[in-house]
Amino acid sequence: MAEIKWPAKRRVIGTRVPRLDGPDKATGRARYSQDINRPGMLHAVILRSPYAHCRIKSLDLSEAEKAPGVRAIVTVGQLNYTGGRKEGKPGWAFPVNKTDVGRELFYHGDEILAIAADTEEHARDALRLVKIEYEQLPFIVKESTALQKRNAPSTVPGKDASNVIPGGNRTQGDPDAAKKAAEVLVTGTYGVPVITHCCLETHGLVAEWENPKSLVIWCTTQAVPGTAGQLQGFLAGHGITASVRCITHYMGGGFGSKFGPDIQGQLAAVLAWLAKAPVKLFLDRDEEHLAAGNRPSATATVTIAGNRDGTITLFEATSHGTPGIGRSAGVNIGILPYVYEVANVRISTEIVRLNHGAARAMRAPAHPQNCFITESAVDDFANAAGLDPMEVRLKNLPPNDPNAIKTQPTSFLALRQTIYATEIGIAAELSQWKKKWHPPGKGPTKGPWKHGIGMALHTWGGAGRADNDVFVTIHSDGSVLVQCSTQDLGTGERTVLAIVVAEVLGLEPKELTVIIGESQIGRSTGSGGSTTTPGTAPAALVAAINARDELFRKIAPKLGTQPESLAIEAGKITDKASGKSYTWRQACARLGMESVRGQGNWQPGLSNLGVGGVQVAEVWVDTETGVVRLERIVAVQDCGMVVNKLGCESQVAGGVIMGINLAMFEEMIVDEQTGRMVNPDFEFYKLGGILDMPEIIVHMHDMPERGVIGIGEPPTISTAAAIGNAICNALGVRVPRTPFSPDRVLAALQSKT
Amino acid sequence: MKNFTYYRPTTLEAAVALLDSRWGTSELLAGGTDLLDLQKEYVAQPDKVVSLNFVNDPIFTRIDVPQILPGTKAQVSIGAGVKLAEIAEHAELKKLFPALTDAAATIGGPQIRNMGTLGGNLCQRNRCWYFRDEFVQCLLKGGRKCYATDGENRYHAIFTRGHPCVIVNPSTLAPALIALGASAETVGPTGKRTLELSKFFQAPSKPDQREHVLVPNEIVVRVLIPVEGLRNASYEVRHKHSWDWPLVQAAVAFRLSGGKATDVRIILGHVAPTPHIATEAQKLVEGQTITPELAAKAGEAATAGAAPLSQNGYKVQLVKVAVKRALLLASGAQPDWLL
Repeated sequence: MAEIKWPAKRRVIGTRVPRLDGPDKATGRARYSQDINRPGMLHAVILRSPYAHCRIKSLDLSEAEKAPGVRAIVTVGQLNYTGGRKEGKPGWAFPVNKTDVGRELFYHGDEILAIAADTEEHARDALRLVKIEYEQLPFIVKESTALQKRNAPSTVPGKDASNVIPGGNRTQGDPDAAKKAAEVLVTGTYGVPVITHCCLETHGLVAEWENPKSLVIWCTTQAVPGTAGQLQGFLAGHGITASVRCITHYMGGGFGSKFGPDIQGQLAAVLAWLAKAPVKLFLDRDEEHLAAGNRPSATATVTIAGNRDGTITLFEATSHGTPGIGRSAGVNIGILPYVYEVANVRISTEIVRLNHGAARAMRAPAHPQNCFITESAVDDFANAAGLDPMEVRLKNLPPNDPNAIKTQPTSFLALRQTIYATEIGIAAELSQWKKKWHPPGKGPTKGPWKHGIGMALHTWGGAGRADNDVFVTIHSDGSVLVQCSTQDLGTGERTVLAIVVAEVLGLEPKELTVIIGESQIGRSTGSGGSTTTPGTAPAALVAAINARDELFRKIAPKLGTQPESLAIEAGKITDKASGKSYTWRQACARLGMESVRGQGNWQPGLSNLGVGGVQVAEVWVDTETGVVRLERIVAVQDCGMVVNKLGCESQVAGGVIMGINLAMFEEMIVDEQTGRMVNPDFEFYKLGGILDMPEIIVHMHDMPERGVIGIGEPPTISTAAAIGNAICNALGVRVPRTPFSPDRVLAALQSKT
Repeated sequence: MKNFTYYRPTTLEAAVALLDSRWGTSELLAGGTDLLDLQKEYVAQPDKVVSLNFVNDPIFTRIDVPQILPGTKAQVSIGAGVKLAEIAEHAELKKLFPALTDAAATIGGPQIRNMGTLGGNLCQRNRCWYFRDEFVQCLLKGGRKCYATDGENRYHAIFTRGHPCVIVNPSTLAPALIALGASAETVGPTGKRTLELSKFFQAPSKPDQREHVLVPNEIVVRVLIPVEGLRNASYEVRHKHSWDWPLVQAAVAFRLSGGKATDVRIILGHVAPTPHIATEAQKLVEGQTITPELAAKAGEAATAGAAPLSQNGYKVQLVKVAVKRALLLASGAQPDWLL
């Protein structure tokens, strides 16, 4: 078989194609998992720990069981109970005295049990009838307190002696010598707080047993077959051999927090099993903030040394961050310094574990934090050296790797300096950097407002992966069905698949029917690491080519020609031998009673990995109130071959908006007296609205020769750093921590005087 | 939420009769933007919910701006059931009382303004995150301490005057109405009464106290605003520009005669358990010509008595700016703070 390549001349790929499901989403026709209602369906709710750390002393379900409408109750202790395996019984066959009493709960929101009832109201009423006594235990919910009490006994799960554990050290070159030789030396402390994913569709599912061997879940997940498989494994662990089918036709955000059924998926499946009825279980907004994942904080004291010409010779950082009760913080020392390669490096990290919900992957895990820390420090270095920070960045870009240039000329390693330099040039032009940049605090003013402009760089992987199946079926009426089990996390998956298949078959994307998000369709690696489009677009290309070739084989004899003589042009099939051409429908009609199906899996050579990206923020800061107004963000982004230009631009704008929220508004606030999060809502957990958004200018730096690369994560990485640098450029003083709220801006201004 | 009996009286008198004479067991429902939340969080657990949405009394449901003849005293009547959006968009009110209409236009988002009412805005419960958390037994729920005093208090009061509960009054209309000399007409078990809005609010510290002085079976019928030709304005500093609470608000009103400001009222919002009258600042401005310098001095004076908590010192600076800008706005000066 000939090597499959992207078409050299592309009719549809790379154009602006509106989402096929846009009208359905805008009008409400699209049915999300939360919209699914089944006959006889019950509603389940979860009882959660009110304390940051406690032990269950006693648990009495008798009143709750008798409450109106209650159909089933299952506890987390029962789900986790493995003692039943020997007896061939599931965990919920055992009394709660055995499974739950004595169980330790580690954060406000930690799951205790779930109740299914005929209505949500009845389920909630019954929750309040559960009699539970807690033994309160010591907790720590603030990093500063944990660091202060670093020798106090651990209050989090696991065997560590303390809440503070080493996160690793790395030394490279000779940092001390570099420091001594420095012509310019700056030190600063920078940080971002814990934020949460804020999926507009909260976590949850509807679970329905079709029969004792088959469970269907309508689950909001970014890994459809993976979630089905995990739940199947969980049930098997309790002696239930069943196949699990997962359906996710539409989803309202995941951002890395929706890779599995989670505990609510297990609870719903068991409640539905016990009650012999479908069960709906979706988290409330407060539960979503408390227990459905978050992004670790990061704080670092950074020293950068270098020469007056802007060359950075040393990067030194002492950092810490919290993953809540999780164990791996996102302050990944492997990516400090971020983007830049520095000869002398010394980094140490501590992980500060706290009694709040565990961190999960969140859109570009570790990158926004490391970007903020590095790019704030690089800016401060440029300012100390009296240089334009854009020039300092250009001077310190990682070089194109000479070996890679020879062996893998389209790799990021071979191209990175070129990509960054090109993108910086484009961003400088679009933002009028040369005209607008000024030394910090020396810019234009309007009344109390001061102008600032700032820049930051980022990088990401975004590789394609094997084990992603796409199927293309061509029917004799000319209709085409495209199927893939991968869900649309926000990548515009339906449209991406339709674009690729339409390109091959000479059709328009909207002419195709695309079914996605059903686990039984085939393999899918899930949407993590910006791998969806690079994983499935190549599979769609292979599937479409296979379907086309099969179509040619089937119809060629009926058209009195050879398959090799047939070719597709827009809307028609041409026989090169006879010069005759047929419309797509006429040609497909020759299939008669048959249809053809092409299968495709990802294969190498069609996708790539490694992107750069540059963002420039322009701000005005009211120096009297500390209020920051964002004027404009310029985002220049590469992602190899652009499949849907409109979708890509939209992804970048969405990433920027998420980055704006990190910069300006978001913060999980946990109270030290009660151990409870005080803002598990959208009132004081702030997210910007339309009036808070600046003009966002997106430029896609298209590099078709590199193949397809993921775009989901990179554009959110550098926004906060760029905004922070713009504010510093406006004020001449650094606001060291996000969110850049009036109190923090005023505090920074005060520190200057 | 806890189950309740829902009543739909068609007159205010019938509504009064349905209310209990102690707090907690019955609640009034108007737009529901506050009560529903409180019930869902089990902070309010009434047995009876008395809807005001079926009261068909024009005094309660309408805005009445009389024809104003020179030399006569007139007052505007705004029914307590009038929606915030209607106040914000009312052409005549905008001309007479920009302090009020500007304040109304910034409350919540469009959905809140379309549902929320004047009476609800004045009588709503505070937004303290400890108070709103069912699990936290703060002073207002019969507990022994105010958690905000030693806890997370970035949005709390800076003028506490030794008061044990450090909430801020959440009404953004109240400072404007107090500055305009408005009064509230209410109906209760003993009939109608009229209360100056400056005496309408109190600092609660116990479960049987609300943020206002009305008795539990008393209902705001309308607000009356005298038409006195006062210059007036409201200015608020916000973190977000879409849906957010003001961090600090200043509402001002004064008579301008011969270039001098007299009868000066400067009222601060979102800085104290009640709308806060900035007496020192009022004195300083009284009889003076409002210049940027004087406005700035008034801002300084408005902070007299401020005693910030551990995390809200920044509000002192915001008070200075809000007062200064509100005075300049009302005086007709060209704002230099608009981008």
